[in-house]
Amino acid sequence: MSAPLLEVSGLGKRFAARSREAAPWIIRDLCFSVADGEFLTIVGPSGSGKTTLLNMIAQIDTMSEGEVRFRGAAATAANARTLRPGLDGQIGYVMQEDNLLPWRSCLDNVLFPLEVQGKLDDGARARAADLIKIAGLSGYENHYPHELSGGMRKRASLIRTLVYDPPVILMDEPFGALDAQTRAVLQEDLLRLWSLGRKTIIFVTHDIHEAIALGDRTLVLSRGPARVAGEHVINLPRPRDVQGLLADPVFAGLYTRIRSEVK
Amino acid sequence: MTSREAADPAQSAAAESATGFFSRMAARLHASRDQWITLAVLLTIWQVLSWTLGVYWVGSPLGVAQKLVAGVISGDLLSHAGITLAEAIIGFVAGGVPAILLPFILRRSPFVTAVLDPFMAGGYGMPKLALAPLFVLWFGIGIESKIVLIAFTVFFIVYFATLGGIRALDPKLVNMAQICGARESDIARQVIFPGAVPHIFAGLRLAMPYAIGAAVVAELISANQGLGYLVQFHSMNFDTTSVFVALTAVCLIVFVANWIVNALEKRLLKWRPPADKMLQPGT
Repeated sequence: MSAPLLEVSGLGKRFAARSREAAPWIIRDLCFSVADGEFLTIVGPSGSGKTTLLNMIAQIDTMSEGEVRFRGAAATAANARTLRPGLDGQIGYVMQEDNLLPWRSCLDNVLFPLEVQGKLDDGARARAADLIKIAGLSGYENHYPHELSGGMRKRASLIRTLVYDPPVILMDEPFGALDAQTRAVLQEDLLRLWSLGRKTIIFVTHDIHEAIALGDRTLVLSRGPARVAGEHVINLPRPRDVQGLLADPVFAGLYTRIRSEVK
Repeated sequence: MTSREAADPAQSAAAESATGFFSRMAARLHASRDQWITLAVLLTIWQVLSWTLGVYWVGSPLGVAQKLVAGVISGDLLSHAGITLAEAIIGFVAGGVPAILLPFILRRSPFVTAVLDPFMAGGYGMPKLALAPLFVLWFGIGIESKIVLIAFTVFFIVYFATLGGIRALDPKLVNMAQICGARESDIARQVIFPGAVPHIFAGLRLAMPYAIGAAVVAELISANQGLGYLVQFHSMNFDTTSVFVALTAVCLIVFVANWIVNALEKRLLKWRPPADKMLQPGT
């Protein structure tokens, strides 16, 4: 395997102390790396610092210690002023909430990154139109977010990141707030979109099923402070049938092992 | 409807859209019908009061209407109303524009905002109308003193509304924009300003009657033109009906201004879910 695209080493985080005692570490000595084109899933109990981890990689939150290397260039513990959110469009981030701008139509939300990056040309517009079609949002281009269903808003926020083609995409339980059926459909959609471009994805979830069904490799985080408690290569053939996996013995074995590690 | 008409799809579609139009109009009329009834009741009470107490104390609605029309035709009332309106509009803009811009400038510097906060709160809490005599002393009895008073009144209301709008914005939207590659100026223009617009509008809506009220009160204290001056002048002459005419003109101005703010809001905030939808349970 070539040098990893993104490498997290010795990463630690604690928030500012509120009382005389030092604040507890949320994350400590966390090390892992992601290869180019890999779909890495990270599973951990809620409150284990998964969102904080992604916020630090995306550089919207500061690290307390350690470093994150992207293509060899290191970001280390820094103050908030020197953060470079998204590393100039190189790290995309699909957050837990869709975070669509409510005053922009569906299409204008998707075009937002291209607009602020000054890349809004005919080619970019065509690409956005393609993605909207693939995501099943055709006919809803001019709808405002409040006029879309939860699943459609999620799709729109997903393609808003895909449209500017960042080499790494972070995803923070993007389907957490959806009902089981919509979630299953969106998981399939995500795998389909991913198979088109094979982006590097770091996908965080508390759902073990989701972590196995989507990933090439799954990391298990321990609870406070978060460290890597287990690592599993998912040897399931692609394309995968997310719902059909439940009957697969390989899936069942992985599920049992990961479940015993998530505490 | 005959069978020949029903066979023509275009015509039946036209007929359907016409009935749709009429039913919409009927719904609107139905909504405003109660407002007309309320107006009629208020006018009746006013007329009865005028009959029982006499026009010396309460000008009759009919007499007021006559004088109002006469004042409009002669242009006398219009010129006084125009003065009041001009003061209100200039003062509104002079106070409102800096009040909207300042929180955006201060956003970059939380320290200065925090230092200014108690002074702004003091300015907000001060009864601005009590400053009117001072402003007349400093700026004369012309429209300048009124404009300064109105600008003062409007500024603090809109400032705190805008500040509230900026503070109410979901910081995750800002994070999202930063990650998408937005610079600080993009974030101010594309995220924070549009997010604050509903709050700014709420502030403008609140400040609007204060602006007109401040104009009238300042004219009452010292002026030689404007609707407040008319109220003052006619009450000195015990011409109650004419006082009512001036007050009615003030009401009409507030009514029209409110209508304009509503129309603007409807246009600029069409991205928001309709208010009746937000009041339904389960949304």
